[in-house]
Amino acid sequence: MPVIELKQISKFYGEGVGRVQALKKVDFQASTGELNLIIGPSGSGKSTFLTITGGLQSPSEGQVLINGKETTKLSNKERDRMRLEEIGFVLQSYNLLPYLTVQQQFELVDRVKKQGNLSQAELQHLLEELGISQLVHKFPDQLSGGQNQRVAIARALYANPPIILADEPTAALDSERVKTVGQLFKDLATKRQKAVVVVTHDQRLMPFADRITKIEDGQLTQVK
Amino acid sequence: MFLALNEMKHEKVHYGLIVTMVTLIAYLIFMLLGLMLGLAKENTAAVDSWQTQTVILNKGANINLNQSVIPANELPKLKAGDSLVGQSPLVITKKNGADKQSAQLIGLKANQSIAKKVTLSEGRWWKKANEVVLADSLKNKGYHLNQKIKFSGQAKTYRVVGFAKQSTLNVTPIVYSQLSVWQQLKGGRQFGASAIFSTRQFKYEHDNLKSYTKAKYVQKLPGYSAQNQTFAAMIGFLMVISMAIIGVFLYILTMQKLPNYAVLRAQGISTGTLVRATVSQAILLMAVGGVLSLILTALTSLTLPEAMPFLINWPLAIGLTLVMVILGTLSSVIPVKLIQRVQPLDALN
Repeated sequence: MPVIELKQISKFYGEGVGRVQALKKVDFQASTGELNLIIGPSGSGKSTFLTITGGLQSPSEGQVLINGKETTKLSNKERDRMRLEEIGFVLQSYNLLPYLTVQQQFELVDRVKKQGNLSQAELQHLLEELGISQLVHKFPDQLSGGQNQRVAIARALYANPPIILADEPTAALDSERVKTVGQLFKDLATKRQKAVVVVTHDQRLMPFADRITKIEDGQLTQVK
Repeated sequence: MFLALNEMKHEKVHYGLIVTMVTLIAYLIFMLLGLMLGLAKENTAAVDSWQTQTVILNKGANINLNQSVIPANELPKLKAGDSLVGQSPLVITKKNGADKQSAQLIGLKANQSIAKKVTLSEGRWWKKANEVVLADSLKNKGYHLNQKIKFSGQAKTYRVVGFAKQSTLNVTPIVYSQLSVWQQLKGGRQFGASAIFSTRQFKYEHDNLKSYTKAKYVQKLPGYSAQNQTFAAMIGFLMVISMAIIGVFLYILTMQKLPNYAVLRAQGISTGTLVRATVSQAILLMAVGGVLSLILTALTSLTLPEAMPFLINWPLAIGLTLVMVILGTLSSVIPVKLIQRVQPLDALN
């Protein structure tokens, strides 16, 4: 059974003559253990797709199901809860608070989500796997871009969500780093059994994907 | 509190400046309060030390001790706790005419209540008509025990036999003497007293005399109400304006943090958690600023000259700090509105 299911999703912005359709009756599914790449140029509807999938905004038409539950009918509070428990976001801006150390970023998760997070041993193992275990007392501004990104990934995984959504995770990274990040997302899907969806315009990530879907003018076409 | 504390620890300069501002504003408020209470105490110290509850004055005196005279034949029968008080403004000098000081002559009977309530810091009460007890504050003007003093315009000398604590009336030091000294000054024994001060609570109205509560009497002390109201208005305005300034600061701070809050909202952290972080930050800022300003005020009070009336009323100062914390918390309601408008979608922009 797919963990993420989008059925006939359309999204309109604006009204009257200025009305723009960002997504056109999109269907999409993602399952556990798969790395899904949604690839497309700027303005193709990638971000709208990701934000609707992650419950950050509602579609104009259609249904979004996360673990079989329709998210479009949830209240704001229930949607907050769903994002907290079911989805780990890895955003372009690394989504780290500048005034918390790496360790405190995880403590914050513990404070807002009391149960179901990784154990300290699992966290330590994850940090070692990501090569950032020695950085736990550093603040984000003391880390390089790549290190920040790995901390953001660890933070997203710490709440142990079944779904990872990533927005342009390789923006401004060199080819070597892109390979590392690509492998990391691949491992998240296969080794940690997550449903991973990455929206990007970076074709260098394509070799790592289990499924590749092109997005253009708000329409999806599966190419792999 | 976790977010609020860690942010403040990380942004030390940012929040240090805000705490400094809160501290300085609260310090100004406490200094004004200290001066207000100090001046108020100088007005009422003697009346307080006499444990006054009721004052009987001449009806025509407009509740003003300076204007009140009770003829001897109109004096009511006194009960325990009642004291005849003869009051007259005067100028005292040392025997050689040096060191003129404005004072209030308070003539008393030694066997009546007031003479038993007033505490002496030095010496003893008068036994003879040519002996006086001076207010403590006159020690700083060079007056001492066994010194001969004169009332300005009179040849007769009086010997200082004691000094009394809390002895100012209308910010003027008191010279305690026998009631007969006051009567002599007024012109004879036909003057019974200026007023009757009593430690009892009662109502009295007869012919030309009327009783007043202590509160009513104090409120009518010349300049007392106007002075207190002026200070209270200054403190009130200062508090309201400072809270508005702190509200603006919190608003700007919150605006700067909105992108971070959007990211947290995207991660599923509720608006309530973010609101609590902002409000607890306001409480922390106000509480730390309030406590620092109290310490600063206490230290300043140790360095003030004796002549400057200044009084710290700790329960009142702590109460005022709590009011400031509450007002500061209320001023954080404006930025809370901003947080409520944060959309998780903004995290991607």
